[in-house]
Amino acid sequence: MHIYLSAFGFGLVSMAVIAIGAVGFTMQFGIANLINLAYGDVMAASAFVAYGINHAGASIWLGLLASVAFGAGISLVLNRALYAPFQRRGTSHLGMVIVALAAALIISNVLLAIVGPDDVSYRMSSGPVIHLGDVVLTSVQVAIIVIAVGVMLGVHLLLTSTRLGKAMRATAADPTLARSCGIPTARVIDAVWLITGALCGLAGTVAAMNSESFAASSGSGYLITILAAAVLGGAGQPYGAMLGAVLIGEATELSAAALSPEYKEVVAFVILVIVMILRPQGLLAKLGVLEAAG
Amino acid sequence: MTYYLTTLLVYAGVDVIACVALNLQFGVSGLVNFGFIIFQAVGAYTAAVLSMPPDTANGGFQQYILGLKLPFPIPWLAATAAGGLLAIPIGLVVLRRLRSDYQAIAMLVISVIANTLVTNIRPFLNGAAGLSLVPAPLSEHLDSGSLAYQWLYVALTVLCCWLVLVVANRIVNSPYGRTLRAMRERERAAAALGKNLVALKLTMFVVGGSAAALSGAILVGFIGLWAPASWLYPETIVIFAAIIVGGRGNNLGAILGALLVPVGFEEATRFLPQIGPPGLIPAMQWVAIGLLIIGFLWFRPRGILPEPRRRVEGEA
Repeated sequence: MHIYLSAFGFGLVSMAVIAIGAVGFTMQFGIANLINLAYGDVMAASAFVAYGINHAGASIWLGLLASVAFGAGISLVLNRALYAPFQRRGTSHLGMVIVALAAALIISNVLLAIVGPDDVSYRMSSGPVIHLGDVVLTSVQVAIIVIAVGVMLGVHLLLTSTRLGKAMRATAADPTLARSCGIPTARVIDAVWLITGALCGLAGTVAAMNSESFAASSGSGYLITILAAAVLGGAGQPYGAMLGAVLIGEATELSAAALSPEYKEVVAFVILVIVMILRPQGLLAKLGVLEAAG
Repeated sequence: MTYYLTTLLVYAGVDVIACVALNLQFGVSGLVNFGFIIFQAVGAYTAAVLSMPPDTANGGFQQYILGLKLPFPIPWLAATAAGGLLAIPIGLVVLRRLRSDYQAIAMLVISVIANTLVTNIRPFLNGAAGLSLVPAPLSEHLDSGSLAYQWLYVALTVLCCWLVLVVANRIVNSPYGRTLRAMRERERAAAALGKNLVALKLTMFVVGGSAAALSGAILVGFIGLWAPASWLYPETIVIFAAIIVGGRGNNLGAILGALLVPVGFEEATRFLPQIGPPGLIPAMQWVAIGLLIIGFLWFRPRGILPEPRRRVEGEA
């Protein structure tokens, strides 16, 4: 029983990590109307930015901030330089998937060429251990959960109570109509890529902090888990992604306790396939703030 | 030098079969099968375990299922069948209810996970180490190291290429091919004309899967090795790059792409001097593949040999 309780605790951290990543991913899908397959590799690249700063002697928290900035910057550039021009030309959804996959290939291999294939980890102390009944977490893990809760609240407030958030929802629902109503959709899309890119960078570094080691090749594993959470919740729905993250986070950690940690991604995948067969629109298809991209 | 030539020809043949097969799915029918490489893998594994002795042989240093030691054409035929059979359940899951870009993502995920599973379940197909010492076809009757055998293998490969091409051309030029193109161009219009889209897609999944599996069987018989590292998902992207460069929808374009991208890239980098750390050139090769796809999609989306514009008789 004890092993499942501690697995439940790890699940809380996992869901925090996945939620940060999945909300960013699903907002790109919902608002920019694009399945950004390079997301996992941008996460891995951001984690390495934090690694570089961390191993230069600075605190990991400074590295975390740098990775957030890096994720935001590179995502904006990726959209401006690559995705947006193809979308303006009227490339189909399917064509965009191929473009995104090519981008993922390029980013992951540039990263590989720079940092090499080895597994690395941050230099940090996990801080004092915190006991909550049988659930044992390190201070760093608690900090990750706190960050995730803060980010979720922030996204909620952004989408519901700010002009920018309302403009994003309008752009998601109907970009042409939004433009005719005087919403500067190009700037809104830029803001979306900055914000989701920041989430992506943050997710990459906290994912790396939460795992024993990471490598240039970690990106595809990140992508699959996040895809599973986003699709489970209903692609394009931020609240759905949060719900999906809760379910996938716990399911992967509990199954890792029951089976073997190698199968974490397999469990995420099985959930993904079942959802795709039974309810491809996801759990929260009609309830979310954003309309599903058509 | 002659051995180099025969190796090159066999690799080229394998890539041509794979590209023509994926062209039927992606170029002609508009199916973005990002899991294409698992069909090549299933063919390679099937051919391997059917032609290898039971896994207790060779001191039992590798573990795998079956090990039936069947004589030559059977493993290749069984591999072809296995590729087609595997396409049915995967196709039924992926093709029925999902929007086309979801289908592509689902196939990508299936490809990554299948690789993870085979890597982690060692008794199934020897895990990450993969299978080695796969006997070459007819090696009990012929000396598989001789030059004559190498040329025989090239001839067999060319024969398979020709067979696949005949089938592919028949499909592309038939009324059935026209239906497939209609589905690619406008799914709803094709459906409105009473075409059963799922049946069309599933058929192309099966045909393409069989051909891909055949290419895997040819490859494993020649190199004698097959491991999860041989079929990571980026390998599928290489074949996509070949078709996009060559000209999608055009079988000749697919052949040209196969010769330019997988074969050309491998051979061109073989002669580069070693610069930087050992992993640098392969990484840059992948970057180049990515840039090639993006560049062609932007500047020449129809490829070097575009699909010919087909005219219906009577059209002005």
